[in-house]
Amino acid sequence: MKMLVTCLLALLLLSLEAVIVQKLGLSVTRIDVTVAIIAFLALRANTLEGAASSFVIGYLLDLTSGRYTGLYTFLGVFLFILGKMVASLVDVRSGVMFALYAMGGDVVHVLLAVLFSWLTAKEAVGAAAILSGLPLQVLLTGVAALALYPLLRRLDRGSDRPQLGTLR
Amino acid sequence: MLSLIKRYRDLILVAGLLLLPFFTFVTRGPNGREPYLVDRWVLALSSHVQRAFAWALDGTASVWTGYAALRGVEAENRGLRAENQALRAKAMEQDELRAENERLRSLVAYADKKQGQEVVAKVVGVDPSSTRHFVRIDRGESDGVTAGMAVITPDGVAGYVERATSGWADVILITDATHRMGVRDERTRARAIAAGTGGKADLELRLDYALRKDDLAENDAIITSGTDGVYPAGLRVGTLSRVEQRGSGMFRAGSIHPAVDPTKLEEVLVLPKVAVPLPAPPAKEPPQGAGAPGTGGAGVPP
Repeated sequence: MKMLVTCLLALLLLSLEAVIVQKLGLSVTRIDVTVAIIAFLALRANTLEGAASSFVIGYLLDLTSGRYTGLYTFLGVFLFILGKMVASLVDVRSGVMFALYAMGGDVVHVLLAVLFSWLTAKEAVGAAAILSGLPLQVLLTGVAALALYPLLRRLDRGSDRPQLGTLR
Repeated sequence: MLSLIKRYRDLILVAGLLLLPFFTFVTRGPNGREPYLVDRWVLALSSHVQRAFAWALDGTASVWTGYAALRGVEAENRGLRAENQALRAKAMEQDELRAENERLRSLVAYADKKQGQEVVAKVVGVDPSSTRHFVRIDRGESDGVTAGMAVITPDGVAGYVERATSGWADVILITDATHRMGVRDERTRARAIAAGTGGKADLELRLDYALRKDDLAENDAIITSGTDGVYPAGLRVGTLSRVEQRGSGMFRAGSIHPAVDPTKLEEVLVLPKVAVPLPAPPAKEPPQGAGAPGTGGAGVPP
């Protein structure tokens, strides 16, 4: 259930992002809302559920980004696993910390996307142009992560069933 | 063996989730695959959501701009009247030219083949990733829009339809890194290829395969050549912003500043597919039972 809600939220946010970016006429940058959701999954979800959700979220991004190539699906799962490893080293409890965590994830996501695209089609990637838009993209993703944090926490809490006998 | 699989079940499943898309990417490359049925359902769902968001945002914006527009409406009205007069004069002039054109066409027995209707579409969204350049429009197969159709604006060429379903279509923009089209220098008629660079910051196109001996100069207008089977000839692409000067080699390159700003697309026109005529077969008696010669169909850009 939690996975379905997360994936539907990702679809909604991706659609909203597509419209907002077009209305604002942003040419240089995008808002990586999917990275914010995957970052949250890396912090809260268990490995199998998180990886499956990240797979679906990456698939959605892949599908809405032209032809399905599998790149963003792979990067979604990869970012989740990487985030899970980093989560054991850092303490993310506040919205600001989560925003910073998501921004770090976005940097990795964009760099890997450019690297893999460049490896398969060297001349068909405007790597320099994409990287020039990276700082603003990371900043906007951080803002989006900050705004999404309360919602994601609420969804996470709402789907948890308290265990019997637990002191609360 | 079974107990081993059971013990590492989660690990195996996660590895599968990671390697499956990676394998797809490695084998298919950046061109990807055609959408499956499930993909189409998901895309149709996201398209409806995008339309709803676009409608809501447009509604909010129009309420605000409607109020703001009332403030300067009289001055704007005067300006529009003057512009209307000028346009009417221009339209009359064009009527004259059209009539002359019709006469000339009939004189040379030109067969005007009407292949389909243009479709006006609204841009409802852009790509959510930073590596592609495409927009989604609110017209699809039910409106006669199919893959391979050229998309233009009054300023010039915007791109072509890469995929379409019943209610929407995705348009690859001319600035996308995978986009190529046949172009021509309007002044000298020299042919070349215009390639998208994928740049988000500088929306320039790359001019490739122009012959070194061809006369190309900065600020020359670049138009479509009509040789790629997607774009009709004579559509405006942009202006030459840089031309490489080379002392050796067969070709030279350059940059084109596109006439259309892809970040400001709102309404576009989808053109019917162009048919590229094949050269006529040699005039001799066909053997008994031979079929009629075929016609060239529209294809994808080079």
